[in-house]
Amino acid sequence: MSPTVSASGLSLRYGATRALDDVSLRLSPGVTGLLGPNGAGKTTLLRVLATAVPADRGAFTVLGHDPGTARGRQEVRRRLGYLPQTPGFHPDFTAFEFVDYVAILKELTDRAARHREVRRVLDEVGLGDVRGKRIRKLSGGMRQRVALAAALAGDPAFLVLDEPTVGLDPEQRMRFRELIATAGEGRTVLLSTHQTEDVAMLCHRVVVLAGGTVRFDGTPAELTARAAGRVWSSEGRDPGALAGWRTGLGTFRNVGDPPPGADLLEPTLEDGYLLTLDGAAAEVTA
Amino acid sequence: MPVTGIRAAGDTPVREARRGALLTLVRPVARTVPWRALVAGGALGLLAAAVPRLSGGEVTPWAGVNALRAAALCCALGAAFLLDDPARQTTAAVPVRRVLRHALRCALVLPPAAAWWTAAVLLVPEEARPPAGDVTVEAATALALALAGAAFAVRRLGADRPGQGVAASLLVTGVLAPLLTPADWALFTVPGDPRWADGHGHWRLLLCAALLAAAVCCTEPARRRTLRTLRSPSRT
Amino acid sequence: MTTATTTAPAPAPVTSPPGASWAAVSALARFETRKLLTRVPVLVAFTVYVAWTVWRTRVSFDGFPALQDADRATQDGPLLVGLAVLLSVNQAVLRSRRHDTERHLAVLVLPRWGRTVAHLLSVGAAALVTAVCVGGQFAWEALKPGAVGHGSPAELLVGPLSVLLLGGFGVLLALLVTAPFAAPLLIVLLLFLATFLTGFAPDGWTRWLMPSVGEYSVVTLPSDLIGRPAAWHALYLGGFALTLMAAAVLLSGGARLRTARAAAAGAVALTLVGAVGQSRGVPETVTEARVQASVTPEKLHTCVERDATTYCAFPEWEPRTGAWAAAVDDVRALAGGDARNRPLVVRQRVEARYGLEADATLAPLTRPGEVTVGTAWGGNRVPEFAVAVAGVLVTGSEATAGELCDGRTVTVMWLALAGRPDPVADLRRVRIDDSDTGSAIVVSRTEPLQMTSAQTELLRELLELPRDRAAAKVKAGWAELTAPKVTTDRVAQVLGLEKPEGENECR
Repeated sequence: MSPTVSASGLSLRYGATRALDDVSLRLSPGVTGLLGPNGAGKTTLLRVLATAVPADRGAFTVLGHDPGTARGRQEVRRRLGYLPQTPGFHPDFTAFEFVDYVAILKELTDRAARHREVRRVLDEVGLGDVRGKRIRKLSGGMRQRVALAAALAGDPAFLVLDEPTVGLDPEQRMRFRELIATAGEGRTVLLSTHQTEDVAMLCHRVVVLAGGTVRFDGTPAELTARAAGRVWSSEGRDPGALAGWRTGLGTFRNVGDPPPGADLLEPTLEDGYLLTLDGAAAEVTA
Repeated sequence: MPVTGIRAAGDTPVREARRGALLTLVRPVARTVPWRALVAGGALGLLAAAVPRLSGGEVTPWAGVNALRAAALCCALGAAFLLDDPARQTTAAVPVRRVLRHALRCALVLPPAAAWWTAAVLLVPEEARPPAGDVTVEAATALALALAGAAFAVRRLGADRPGQGVAASLLVTGVLAPLLTPADWALFTVPGDPRWADGHGHWRLLLCAALLAAAVCCTEPARRRTLRTLRSPSRT
Repeated sequence: MTTATTTAPAPAPVTSPPGASWAAVSALARFETRKLLTRVPVLVAFTVYVAWTVWRTRVSFDGFPALQDADRATQDGPLLVGLAVLLSVNQAVLRSRRHDTERHLAVLVLPRWGRTVAHLLSVGAAALVTAVCVGGQFAWEALKPGAVGHGSPAELLVGPLSVLLLGGFGVLLALLVTAPFAAPLLIVLLLFLATFLTGFAPDGWTRWLMPSVGEYSVVTLPSDLIGRPAAWHALYLGGFALTLMAAAVLLSGGARLRTARAAAAGAVALTLVGAVGQSRGVPETVTEARVQASVTPEKLHTCVERDATTYCAFPEWEPRTGAWAAAVDDVRALAGGDARNRPLVVRQRVEARYGLEADATLAPLTRPGEVTVGTAWGGNRVPEFAVAVAGVLVTGSEATAGELCDGRTVTVMWLALAGRPDPVADLRRVRIDDSDTGSAIVVSRTEPLQMTSAQTELLRELLELPRDRAAAKVKAGWAELTAPKVTTDRVAQVLGLEKPEGENECR
């Protein structure tokens, strides 16, 4: 499939901090996960791709339009859904009114069609029953879903979600995964998260960002494969391990370079992620 | 996804979609305007304007013009909160431009503000009333400075609720300006002072500058204009 | 990574020693103080206040301050700081609501009133910084070589107490009105009402309700004649500030604390006592002393004799005798005849009967050989005094000098000015319209002197001559130059100068 988003050489500084340093990537339909430690530049990259903040350098296109021009940015925004890391609300609006407000801002001007669309996205995120409630009365998880509904309104072709599952309970998170997976059918979804299992379950691609640069770009299986032969079990904490912890079974699970003859274990995506972050050996495989 | 056709903009001219969006936006935006701050500013402003009349005694032109200046500053302090929008992050990347959203807020507030100002001017007894046009320029400058400050904070710092900081800076400016502006600018004169006309020439200049700054700050840059990028444009 | 085993000894429970919460409050107060003092409005206000004060104090009181005036001059600047503190502390108290941390902070160990006390203490710190600035300003004045008199600690306290009062108001306001726009709007209204009300009610006890109370005249009185209820006012301000602060503590959940309620009651009592005390006007003893100082100052004077001159001054001004003597000696050095060592009495006088409310000119002294000197010095006062000395040396007494309308004016003015570093500049300074040609009134502490155009012209001619030559001519013609009724033309003739063409009529 042809890429919906392609970016090359994106750089952004805040004062002396390099938030993004020469980031290049291509996104195609489906869910792409963006992993990285705190301060890696994930939110900045998402804000740049969502046209909320312009980059210092570099070029990118979204759905064939260049957001670096005012006209191109408008075109991108017409096809964009953005869920910020800390969404804000007008607490006196009802859920319906708030999503309706955002839908108007997305230039959905036909009243009947818009109201249908707002009801549809609210149903989709499971808020059909509380759409008449004021946002100040909603719980944290519900508010998060209102923000997702606002992002989904207008059927965007490109969806940017910044840590949407933070602060949700396991059941809500499962529900969110379902929503995002559905949203990823036919759309390009970029999902920033700290949860490696979200990525393992949802994403067909994963990008690891650290220190403002791309450390890995490939499939989750490829990321997991990086840890193949580098996870082992031992009786005590292995001094040569990058990380090791006692599991519930009483043995230690170690990640790093195993000693000869070690009892190797099946790696997970998280092991691959940890090793990628640690490696000065990180290379972009895309 | 069964949503083809809801977006009026699909193939119809963009301008029409934008106009439609603006009209439908009036009601929800009117609800997001921080009316409490504006009403409080207006009410205290009216109180200030009414003090000379309420005091009973003879009202001097000095008292009249300063009552109106205090009223204008109150109104401007209220207006500093006009661009406060807790949902700014959520609506950071929507196609309706920021300048239109800001302009809509201002347009909603302007008619009541004009009526309010007329009332404030009329509250000052006629014998002490300064020339209405000139003193309106002063009030408009204060208002424009407040809006320019708020728009600047939104554009530069991405602030959700710039009001508090802008109001504080505006207040500091308002208190220090009469003390620190050079006397030959004659900004804070009393009607009848020979420098009144000159001073109001300066006020008009200030108003134009503030309006220009506000207009510039309302736009949303598509590219960052830093010294570095000017020197070496993007490498692509 | 290892998990803690259950056998590991549990950390010893942190038991708070009694008074620990006060330690927490003081730690929080230090934190809030740092935040408050680095807020932009406070920084700007302090910068402007200090810069303005330094810029003004460099040249204030012409370098010869009376400290009983200098203390009042410290009161207005801190109001600017006070407004900034009001605004900033108000925003600081509202911070936890604005960023929605109240829910979190509300369940912490430190009670809500503890946080309020920390904010109040940060206001106190700002007041202390102001006190340092006020102290610095006053010390600078006191260290000037020409300083005389005594400052009043109560007047000096007004500045810091104003900051405390306004800051306390800011904290209380944040607890009463949680909207962030309340403080800026109220400040505008307060400022407006303050300027408006002082414009309307200049007299009476109401003006003492304001933090800083200015005076309308620039007359300098001996410190015991000032008659301002400064101590009462400081008590009132301090009590009022404490009342607001105690109210803030009570409002933020401290109502159950017995100390807080007692403090509130005490503060209200202090405020009332101060308010009543300051409203009683000038005490009778001061009024009597003012009359005595104005009518029979001799009884209060201490006299010092230097060469042929006796300097009688109020005790506080004794250090200034040297400055006066220098001016007298300059004039005497140029005079001829017996004027060089004729006994002279320089008598300090002041019109104190109207207090600080009005300036009044003094009637000239009628006794021969007596010269009036005022309570202020430096700047224009010096040539004015020189004119008075010269007038008495030439005409014999101040009363006759005031009626002077003949050629002797030229001699008087020349004697007064020729010894000065820049005589023509001083001529402009003593003349009421700052001119150096044409006719004009010469300002004096007592009766003003008149100069006609012709006399001005002649004086300028004389001043253009080298000083020694002019002095020789004046000394040579001294008897004729100082004879009553001598005409200006005759004076020109005696001095060997061209006859002036200007008009020569006294008005």
